[in-house]
Amino acid sequence: MKLLIVEDQPKTGHYLRQGLAEAGFNTELVADGTTGQHLALTGDYDLLILDVMLPGRDGWQILQAVRNAGLDMPVLFLTARDAVEDRVHGLELGADDYLVKPFAFSELLARVRSLLRRGSSPPQETSLQLADLRMDLIRRRVERDGQRIDLTAKEFSLLELLLRRQGEVLPKSLIASQVWDMNFDSDTNIIEVAIRRLRLKVDDNFPNKLIHTVRGMGYVLEERFS
Amino acid sequence: MKRISLASRLALLFAGCTAVVSLLAGVLFNHASEAHFIELDQQLLDGKLIALRSTLQGADTPERFALRETTLREELNRQPDLALRITAGDQRWFDGAPGITLPQAPGLHSVQNAGTDYRVYNVPLVPGNADSPQLTLMLDITHHQHFLQRMQHLIWLTVGLSALATALLGAWAARSGLRPLRRMSEVASGVSAHSLTQRLPQEQMPVELAELAQSFNAMLGRLDDAFQRLSAFSADIAHELRTPLSNLLTQTQVILTQPRALEDYREALHSNLEELQWMAQLVNDMLYLAKADHGLLAPKRETLVLANEVDALLEFFAPLAEDVQVRLIREGGANTSGDRSMLRRAISNLLDNALRFTPPGGDVSVRIVEGMHGVTLSVENTGEGIPEALLPRLFDRFYRADPARHEGSSEHAGLGLAITQSIVRAHGGRIFCESGAGWTRFVMELPRGY
Repeated sequence: MKLLIVEDQPKTGHYLRQGLAEAGFNTELVADGTTGQHLALTGDYDLLILDVMLPGRDGWQILQAVRNAGLDMPVLFLTARDAVEDRVHGLELGADDYLVKPFAFSELLARVRSLLRRGSSPPQETSLQLADLRMDLIRRRVERDGQRIDLTAKEFSLLELLLRRQGEVLPKSLIASQVWDMNFDSDTNIIEVAIRRLRLKVDDNFPNKLIHTVRGMGYVLEERFS
Repeated sequence: MKRISLASRLALLFAGCTAVVSLLAGVLFNHASEAHFIELDQQLLDGKLIALRSTLQGADTPERFALRETTLREELNRQPDLALRITAGDQRWFDGAPGITLPQAPGLHSVQNAGTDYRVYNVPLVPGNADSPQLTLMLDITHHQHFLQRMQHLIWLTVGLSALATALLGAWAARSGLRPLRRMSEVASGVSAHSLTQRLPQEQMPVELAELAQSFNAMLGRLDDAFQRLSAFSADIAHELRTPLSNLLTQTQVILTQPRALEDYREALHSNLEELQWMAQLVNDMLYLAKADHGLLAPKRETLVLANEVDALLEFFAPLAEDVQVRLIREGGANTSGDRSMLRRAISNLLDNALRFTPPGGDVSVRIVEGMHGVTLSVENTGEGIPEALLPRLFDRFYRADPARHEGSSEHAGLGLAITQSIVRAHGGRIFCESGAGWTRFVMELPRGY
């Protein structure tokens, strides 16, 4: 997966590239709009991350040029301003997503992955699995090590999300949005409580823990060998 | 047009009024004196007429008149201000004032001749007999006319002087009468960010200005209040950021003072991350409020089935509520139009707040009632009530009912209710809190027309 970041603030750009590279993406970084537009049009990228305010050409202009050239890769905007007209403007021009600074990197990563996944139709799985944890999507049953685990509807959705995106750190905001359809900043510790309750059923009786907290970032479902 | 000052305007008006009034009085007096003089002359002439008639009794022919002429002249000589002319048909029997043309009509007339004024009285010699010889009495009234002229001069002088005097007095009176206004403008010009506490002395103000002074003071009060809030807000922001910043600084410096195990660095970074996330959340919340303050929250208008929205939220909050053993209840339902995610956020803050203050075993109930003008949504929780005096402050930014609460920095920053209020206001509604013994209720009123 090849990503282009156009961001003129050196520190932000550097850490974004490092973070995305370590997450397994082939990432390029440019600091000015003119070079950014040139690369975006010629570089065959899977996704663009554009700052709005850039020297040379601004983010909107790059987006316009990209869409005019018939390229339809997803474009994610980063901006320090959160004006409604900005958002409307961006969406009209064909932006796919929008993050307002300050944002958390885990949030950005989750959104990047969502955007990249959007294009390809998800495989029609009938079951999801990690280690000895199995989820039967048709009969809506969960088993671990052969033992049936009873989950509420929301717990089932939560575990399904974690299983589908296993290995990815999912920020709380993304979990709230995907599982409960709550699309607003919330400083409650509901997700914490929900994860704790899910853990109680999925992990507590087994020595090999699968749900992990990544402090300050979110939660991840993965097999860890200590 | 040049603007005339209020004081000069009043002074001119006063002067004009006085001039008109004194002129009227003068004219009336002049008329009255003139009428009085005419009356006096008439009486005088009547008296003289009686004497003349008795002297001329029976003198109805020129021959008989000639017999009386000597007596008549003697009598006329005793009265230097009186002249007499006797006419019978075309003949003039006697003429004490030759050469003067006099009116012929009977009755009293005024005539001026060669600088002398006369009162002329035409009567028949025999009373009631118009065919008898005609007596024309001429009375010199020059001294009357002089008096009247002097009086007219005096009147004009009085008009002029009194107008001038009232103009001056009026200017002085207006200036002193307008003193409260000047005082007001002095206070107004003295108002600055540092002296918003100054007020106009309302009880010393004249009735007409008391209302203005009251509005002025009220405006100052509102300004003062807004200014206080603003400066308190800045101070609060600085205060809120100080704790996490000093944690970050201290921790980072301590960690870097000597080489450590990898795990220690990781731990430090994680801890920093928590502080930073809290700060990012705070900044985002403040930006949200700033947007609301600038009227930039533009809620979408979707038709919302509030019961469904509240149920979704209660489902979201269910794990937390179970954890703290609180029952979540929803009653009623209604449709409204508004922005789904904004209203969810607003209600979520209320639920979050309610759960925080409900003791285990308590209830949080959401009631939706459709009213005449809109929808009322209330979130009520059991538990210790909030003192009456604190109710209006609940929606202030950074306000916390319990001041000790915010020391743990992962807790919320106390902006939740302020955000809820902003959202409700952006929807054209209002929110308030009621509390009693053992219950607290936040009531959100959303107008129908939104």
